[in-house]
Amino acid sequence: MTILEVVNVSRDVAWLPWAVQYFFLVGLSVACFFMSLRGLLRGAARERGFARDALIGALACGLVAPVALLADLHQPGRFWHFYAYPNLGSWMAWGAFFIPAYVGGLLVYAWAVLRGDLAAAGQGDGVLARLQRLVALGGAPAPRLARLAAGWTVVFGLLILLYTGMEVMVVRARPLWDTPILPLQFAATAVTGAAGLVLIVARLRGDATPAADAAAARWMAGGLLATVLLGLVWLGLGLTGVAETHARALASVAGHRAWQLTAAWAALATVLPLALLWGRPAGWGWIVGLLGLHAAWMFRWTVFIGGQTVPKTGAGLYVYQLPLGHDGLLGIAGSLGLWVFVFVLLTTLLPPSPPAPVRPALVPAE
Amino acid sequence: MSESRRNFLRAFGAMTVGAAVAAPAAAAPAAAALPSSAAPAAAGTTAPSPRWAMVVDVGKCIGCQSCTMSCIYENAVPEDSFRTIVSTYEVQEGGRTAMVMLPRLCNHCADAPCIPVCPVGATYQQADGIVVVDADRCVGCAYCVQACPYDARFINHHTGKADKCTFCAHRVEAGLMPACVETCVGGARIFGDLADPDSTVSKLVAKGDSKVLKPELGTRPHVFYLGLDDRLTGKVEGEPTLWRPRATESHA
Ligand code: SF4
Ligand code: SF4
Repeated sequence: MTILEVVNVSRDVAWLPWAVQYFFLVGLSVACFFMSLRGLLRGAARERGFARDALIGALACGLVAPVALLADLHQPGRFWHFYAYPNLGSWMAWGAFFIPAYVGGLLVYAWAVLRGDLAAAGQGDGVLARLQRLVALGGAPAPRLARLAAGWTVVFGLLILLYTGMEVMVVRARPLWDTPILPLQFAATAVTGAAGLVLIVARLRGDATPAADAAAARWMAGGLLATVLLGLVWLGLGLTGVAETHARALASVAGHRAWQLTAAWAALATVLPLALLWGRPAGWGWIVGLLGLHAAWMFRWTVFIGGQTVPKTGAGLYVYQLPLGHDGLLGIAGSLGLWVFVFVLLTTLLPPSPPAPVRPALVPAE
Repeated sequence: MSESRRNFLRAFGAMTVGAAVAAPAAAAPAAAALPSSAAPAAAGTTAPSPRWAMVVDVGKCIGCQSCTMSCIYENAVPEDSFRTIVSTYEVQEGGRTAMVMLPRLCNHCADAPCIPVCPVGATYQQADGIVVVDADRCVGCAYCVQACPYDARFINHHTGKADKCTFCAHRVEAGLMPACVETCVGGARIFGDLADPDSTVSKLVAKGDSKVLKPELGTRPHVFYLGLDDRLTGKVEGEPTLWRPRATESHA
């Protein structure tokens, strides 16, 4: 029997590229935050540069991510409904509480661990120096507050990873989303992207050091290997039919040329940075950094935009063309522009770390 | 609106519907379904809540899309969006070719996956089984659009809110048939109260040979199909021949 579909509905993508930006940025932020913990809370001085760059990445992404999420709502002015009428059976409703808790915790943690640096930077007479002193509020170490805020942010960072994964995973209507491995894949690609971001941040700020690069490379290798492993498990479960959800997910896309190409691209996007990390040719930091960011972004683009092109009842794939306006390219460029703005603001306040020995983190001198 | 006034309108509506559809004999079973449940309410007794449902007799559908059009006009559905549409397939088997129609709409599922995901509780099920969106509360997050396994929902580009078939709740409340039922040329759409054992839909469903879409998901749809081939109840594995502006498959 052959069936030709003559008339059917074609549905638009309802989660826009803004959603891709949100999941990308919030994932990067949480992973960057985790990377900053060791160096800023109790690491040796040589770990501090990497940790500071990671924290700047976490702040820039964490502050822009909620804006992207808000823009993805078709009624952004009604965001307060999330708090006025929460339906706590929905993962998205919980997200509305986790996001401010995470970003708030991140800001307090950043202030507590960086106020010494801020005070040190604000030695002069200029407006900026005065602002730095003002923000530093004296600049004395605040180790207890730092640990408290770090603990709080760890909890809400993990909850962000959990809810962003679960929110998508529970959508049974989309077989591609409905696999228990998806939250782990989001986390692994977030680590990959975050390590890439730290490499880029260090280069933009001009404070890349071999020690910091080595730390970023370790994190990225870990993220990439986890991504490969999870990808193989996903494929294995789908091909063998052991797990019905994976078999359904694979079947929903396997037959389409566009998806075969996507799979090949994804494999390349994972293997190429691994190879570069192995060989470390000249200029690897920029390339690997950008490739890491690309892997994280592309994974989310494929899951969200690609996933929504798979019809739930109809044949073939819906066609998606990136609109040029607010719903598409302009949205992506806009969130990137906002990120650059926040990044410039942060790095103006927090100039690169002094090269020589710095105060060992926050351990009070006893 | 007071209860008695609503009841009056119900009864009145039922009469007008009866009059309006008296002529086309094919639509008569559909029209007959509504008064039986509306009548006790009109009499002022506390009637048990109806459970609205639809039976679609696929064999009677001629694919004219009158329902699609009347729905668009009745509900001000914006361009490029549909609350209902008749999916049309050309099926070839054993040297024979046939056209198969499959009218699609919100199934008003008893276990609707679109409801629990709504972060602000804007999507809910009325006591009469109709799944509706509170437009004053909806934030347009489109989570429900993702969660519906039937592609029955969309974001209305004019209102920025979730939109879908409501069984024409505003008409049903007034004792009228949903617009698609009233305009169905083939008499394929039959609407009525499943809680009333004497209604046409109850009798048709009770025969036991109706089917629902994607039964394996456990959503318990309340749109039932008569004469539907099993190969069309899920995601249809067919050749897409829809006109697509740039017909290259691409998403990346
Ligand atoms: S068909 Fe879709 S929109 Fe309608 S009730 Fe079921 S899940 Fe909800
Ligand atoms: S789009 Fe509206 S109805 Fe749908 S889940 Fe979001 S808030 Fe609820």
